[in-house]
Amino acid sequence: MSRQPVGPAALGRGAATVEQHRETHRRFRRRAVFGGLMLAVVAGMFGWRLASLQLLEPERFVAHGEAQRIKTLRLRAGRGAIVDRNGVDLVLSVPGQSMIANPRRVEDPVRAARALAQVLGADPEVLERRISSDKSFVYLGRQVDLEVAEAILALEISGVYAQEEWERIRPGGDSALSILGRTDIDSIGISGIELVYDGPLSGTDGERKFEMGMRGASIPGGEYSVEPACNGRTLVLTLDRALQFEAERLLLERVEAVGAKGGVLVAMHPATGEILVSATVRRSADGVVRISSEHLAVTWTYEPGSIIKPLTVSAILDRAVAAPDTVREVPPRLKVHDATFSDSPFHETVELTLADIIRRSSNVGTILWAQDLGAEALHEQLREFGLGSVTDLDFPGEASGILHPAGRWSGTSLPTIAIGQGVSTTPLQMLVAYSALANGGVRPAPTLVLGTRDDDGVFEPRRPGPSLSVLPAAVAAEVVGMMEQVVASGTGTRAQVSGYRVAGKTGTAWKVLPAGGYGSKGNRSYVASFAGFLPAEAPRLAVIVVVDEPSGEVYSGGRVAAPVFAEFARFAVRQLRIPSADERVEADREGRVMALTPARHAILREAAEASRLEQSGELVAASATSG
Amino acid sequence: MTAVLRHPRLGLGQRIDDGTGGRAVVRPAARSAVALAVFGFFATLLALAAFQSVVVSGQFEFDRLQRRLEDGRDRSQLLRAEVARLESPGRILEVAGGRLGLVSPPTRLYLPSVVPGDPLTILLPPVGDPFSRTYR
Repeated sequence: MSRQPVGPAALGRGAATVEQHRETHRRFRRRAVFGGLMLAVVAGMFGWRLASLQLLEPERFVAHGEAQRIKTLRLRAGRGAIVDRNGVDLVLSVPGQSMIANPRRVEDPVRAARALAQVLGADPEVLERRISSDKSFVYLGRQVDLEVAEAILALEISGVYAQEEWERIRPGGDSALSILGRTDIDSIGISGIELVYDGPLSGTDGERKFEMGMRGASIPGGEYSVEPACNGRTLVLTLDRALQFEAERLLLERVEAVGAKGGVLVAMHPATGEILVSATVRRSADGVVRISSEHLAVTWTYEPGSIIKPLTVSAILDRAVAAPDTVREVPPRLKVHDATFSDSPFHETVELTLADIIRRSSNVGTILWAQDLGAEALHEQLREFGLGSVTDLDFPGEASGILHPAGRWSGTSLPTIAIGQGVSTTPLQMLVAYSALANGGVRPAPTLVLGTRDDDGVFEPRRPGPSLSVLPAAVAAEVVGMMEQVVASGTGTRAQVSGYRVAGKTGTAWKVLPAGGYGSKGNRSYVASFAGFLPAEAPRLAVIVVVDEPSGEVYSGGRVAAPVFAEFARFAVRQLRIPSADERVEADREGRVMALTPARHAILREAAEASRLEQSGELVAASATSG
Repeated sequence: MTAVLRHPRLGLGQRIDDGTGGRAVVRPAARSAVALAVFGFFATLLALAAFQSVVVSGQFEFDRLQRRLEDGRDRSQLLRAEVARLESPGRILEVAGGRLGLVSPPTRLYLPSVVPGDPLTILLPPVGDPFSRTYR
């Protein structure tokens, strides 16, 4: 029996090769399976990652991607302008530059601070502290001049940039400052009209979104959307800039001339209550008289003195206690309870009509009639004129004045209140009361705002406040007639305006001293005032002038305040085009020669020349030649 | 001599038996169509690139105009403020009294308040704000 070889040797050479191939094949399969598994694991990991990115938390990555390529630009709404009744800019916003820095990107803070301090005029140590901080945003200077901003950018300091901001400016300087008010550096109203109308003036910011490519350029066809900013509305005031300036100029001169502490002038259209002027000046601690930032016409209360007498007389006439020509014996002095009242200048006992009492501003005569009228009736009438309560002006800090109920009056209250002492009002309250007399007994609601305008020029008028009838028109006309006599031949002759019938009343009130009481002759302080309107037959302008504490010999309302009224009224009737009696009568007369301003004269001459040429055909021929 | 064998002119899609076992041979017309398609493809690509270039340059122009518009509005607003400042009575009085050396007359002569031909009504505020910054 032969023995067979075992194993490959037994199979021969071919069998060994086949076995080797099988081994290689198995190894390959193992590797392939392993490789496949590895690839499957990697693919699975990728798949998982993909799923987690796309399905599980896509928002975060979408936001991340958008943050990289979508740029959102805030479109700041411009704050609306404030213009006067003729559309003249009183306050407006202009683009300004603020210098900012990213301290993390400033390479050499010390050197940068020194260079910036020279241009900005700031303390280098303060700047160095700011740009050495670990913040990513600091201000170097807010709302700097354009030249300064350009100079800083020219330094090419890394991490220092310019940022556009709105800057609020008043082209007319401090004129009407007390009314217009102020904004803070972020253009938010903090006082005056800026505060009251902050909402309509502010507007709403918008934004622009776009896809940003290299170097900040927008990608064509990329995402793009604009939500436009809604600018603040333009506020149209009732003020007249020219009148306001003239009033301030006159007050500054007068207060300086009579050595007073300050002065107020308010002018109003009596029928509508539109305030044309509200000027306030005060003497500063350094003795210089300046335009005040405080709107004293509504925030300052004082005892009005004799300018209250027409209101007292209104009540006397309305209750039929007396008529304008009712005569009464008026003594030089009158004792009521523990007080003695007298007239100035002194007179013996005389017979005066009610009209004479007003014309001569007799304290004793007014008190005698007021006693016949009674406290309740006087209080009621003064209340109806608006004393003791705030007006409809809606101005911050407006005072209501003091007018106690008749039930709380003392024995001397009636006589003192009848002549304007023991009661306090604001200058505006008195002007509103006078406007009621000028307006046929209808008290207007004072206003400073005509309305608002949007960007497209659409004007939205402000709804006027309610007008109240406080006196029959006939009674108002009688009082106006008496007030005309005051200016024509009484205490207010310095308020006369040539060509116009003026009705008004002077007031020289004693001022309460800081220690209390009114003091004695020689150490008294006064408030001189004049309130009136013109033309008396159809009033279109009511004005009150109040001068606080004139010093020296000249202190009466007739000598201190009335001349300011007259000077202002002469200017105002031209500005407001209120024709005089002569101008109304002769306006239509043929061939009448009127004075013209040079500019107006040139315009009319050119228009006449053009008309002549057009009629003769020369203009047409000249046009054809040039064409 | 070598004779040149020419196929008779064939229409598109026609085949001839060239003795290679019935394999089809694409005629020149088909090759032209392919060439035309390739040309068309590249021409379309070129047109797209040109269009894209126009869009990009248009976008740049749009951005540039937008910036100019913003600058113009800013400039207009600054000029508006400057005009208001120059027209303010305070500045005019300052220049008259300062630079021009004028003095106030002792008595003032006022012109008539009403001039024939002038409108008696007060001028309305100007409409339309050319300095609107609504769109930026």
